[in-house]
Amino acid sequence: MSTATEPSTPHPVRSSTSLPFRTAVRTVFTLEMKQRLRGRGWYWMLGTWFVVIGFIFVLALGVIGATDNEGGILFDLIVGFVLFFGLLVSPGLSANAINGDRAGGTLAILQVTLLTPGQLLAGKWLASWVGSLAFLVLSSPFIFWALTLGGVNGQEAVVSLLMLAVQLGVVCAIGVGVSALANRPLFSIVSTYMVVALLAVGTVIVFGLSTMLVMEERTMTSSYYNYPEASLDSMGVPDPGAELECVTQTYRSEVPNTQYITWILAANPFVVVADAVPYSVEDLPEQGTPNPYGPADGPYYTPGVMETISQGVRSAQAGPDTDQTCEEASQALRPLPQETPIWPLGLGIQLVLATGLLLAARRKLTMPAGRLARGTRIA
Amino acid sequence: MTNESGGIVVEGVARSFGSVQAVRDIDFEAPPGEVTALIGPNGSGKTTLLLMMASLLAPDLGTIRVAGFDPVTQPREVRSRVGWMPDTLGAWESLTAHEVLTTIGALYRMSSADRTRRADELLAAVKLTDFGHQPARVLSRGQQQRLSLARALIHDPQVLLLDEPASGLDPGSRVDLRSLLRSLAAEGRTVVVSSHVLSELDEIADRAVFVSRGQSVKSQTLDEAGGQIRRYYIQAEPMTALAAALESHGVRFETRRDSRREEFLVQLGSTAEASWLLRTLVMADVVVTAFAPAGGALEETYMSLDTDRR
Repeated sequence: MSTATEPSTPHPVRSSTSLPFRTAVRTVFTLEMKQRLRGRGWYWMLGTWFVVIGFIFVLALGVIGATDNEGGILFDLIVGFVLFFGLLVSPGLSANAINGDRAGGTLAILQVTLLTPGQLLAGKWLASWVGSLAFLVLSSPFIFWALTLGGVNGQEAVVSLLMLAVQLGVVCAIGVGVSALANRPLFSIVSTYMVVALLAVGTVIVFGLSTMLVMEERTMTSSYYNYPEASLDSMGVPDPGAELECVTQTYRSEVPNTQYITWILAANPFVVVADAVPYSVEDLPEQGTPNPYGPADGPYYTPGVMETISQGVRSAQAGPDTDQTCEEASQALRPLPQETPIWPLGLGIQLVLATGLLLAARRKLTMPAGRLARGTRIA
Repeated sequence: MTNESGGIVVEGVARSFGSVQAVRDIDFEAPPGEVTALIGPNGSGKTTLLLMMASLLAPDLGTIRVAGFDPVTQPREVRSRVGWMPDTLGAWESLTAHEVLTTIGALYRMSSADRTRRADELLAAVKLTDFGHQPARVLSRGQQQRLSLARALIHDPQVLLLDEPASGLDPGSRVDLRSLLRSLAAEGRTVVVSSHVLSELDEIADRAVFVSRGQSVKSQTLDEAGGQIRRYYIQAEPMTALAAALESHGVRFETRRDSRREEFLVQLGSTAEASWLLRTLVMADVVVTAFAPAGGALEETYMSLDTDRR
């Protein structure tokens, strides 16, 4: 028997005991994808997705067939729809990545190899992101169909799809992070849905409620074109050849200063995508003659669903229009130009959230484990 | 004894999970070239100790050296040298047995050619070659257990930590496991086997460490275990003649109660004493029909410790 109580500690040999990042991520990614591609559930989800999105597209094609901006509206609809469903699918693909393995008894087998927690998380994230992107790829027939109808320029299409992919990646990162932190797959999937709902719906609710906090009584000036009193006959019909004049009213009113709270909307995935896309507004023709009873004669500005979101954010950023001129009144449906892009802020908030979760996940996966959550077993 | 080439030294290790003290104070030594058994009842801290040696769990107190490295501060060095087979069967069900092995091989930084060759070798060693290209979900429990063993061996580790490797194996596979572990130890590797199937370990292990309620209670080599007082059971035809003969030589005996056959149990200090008694009985014309140790050497120690069997 040995009497040595303090065994000597050899110098660590770094080169042989560290796994190259690319090898590690590729191995984990391949492992995940093999399992996904060999399962049935994956194909059922893709099939259902294709049928649903096809149904919606054809339905929309029939309903809005007569509008001026048909291609643009349909493209926007597909982007909005893919984003919406992507937000539903991505947590399902990512939020059981780690604790699903833990429940299956395979996590410890990976942890006891040279794989580091960061490499494991990167591989899992990449696999779930690629899985989510498959849904985007599957929507491409409809995307191309909408593009062939015209009205969408190349830049708009590329940025839309790119931002879509980025948003799916962010949701997957959140899901993978939560899956390492929560012990049960069910809990982590629900938690991830909660985070996604907080971003997509919660921000809108908070924004809506916050308008109460930024209410202020201000002097509003609104103007409109009308025929002068003198040119009207007894029946109220203007003389032929009478000139329109600009009428200006001033009143005091409670208005929300939304420009102070628009940042709340920034991290909303729909806002991030919509705000990043450079919608083409130049090709709208000049307005016809001013009309006292409404906007000037067409062609009208008809934004799609994502472009409407973009316009909503821009008008919220601009705040209340306290001085509406006659020009503006006659151009009620003119697109607002972008002043300050809000999407970098939103994407920044999302990345901070996702990175924070992944760092916490990495800490939790670092072995040997100091503290374990109640009721968990390593293997 | 313990140097860079292998061996495990654990001193005064403790670990608790919340209010549950899984390991209180364990000393453990496993020299290279030998099979060391870790024996204890359910919930005695065997798995927790193995997790700590496999660098998956940090001890609250005490020191651990695996192949000369500290699993807490040098987990990578430990992991590259340790093969760990968990007691739970985790499997990627849609992967084939061969893919499971090559995937894990890749995570130990083995080249593509190396891990393919090694996977083929190991599948042959655990007799799963025929199942190598079938999804792991078709494997039976025993086959999965063998795959798990192959997985632990993929990177040719110096130290093997096996948690209940024999559970679920058929008798033939147990014999294979025994010869595999013996040959691994003969190559100079450190092999640690936890189990509570004591008859198994008698034949595999060179030494044993007994744990109970999170404490190491005894450590002995199989040679030591063989030299201790053991119980033998004796059957004769008729039993009355045997009883008379034993009484005349002043050997105390009792009737065994946990067997359906009628037989006597005697305590004997050594194998020499046992052969003396057998010869004496035969010379006294007692028709002895059975004369054998009542249990394995380790079982004797285990029972003599009289620990928390509940």
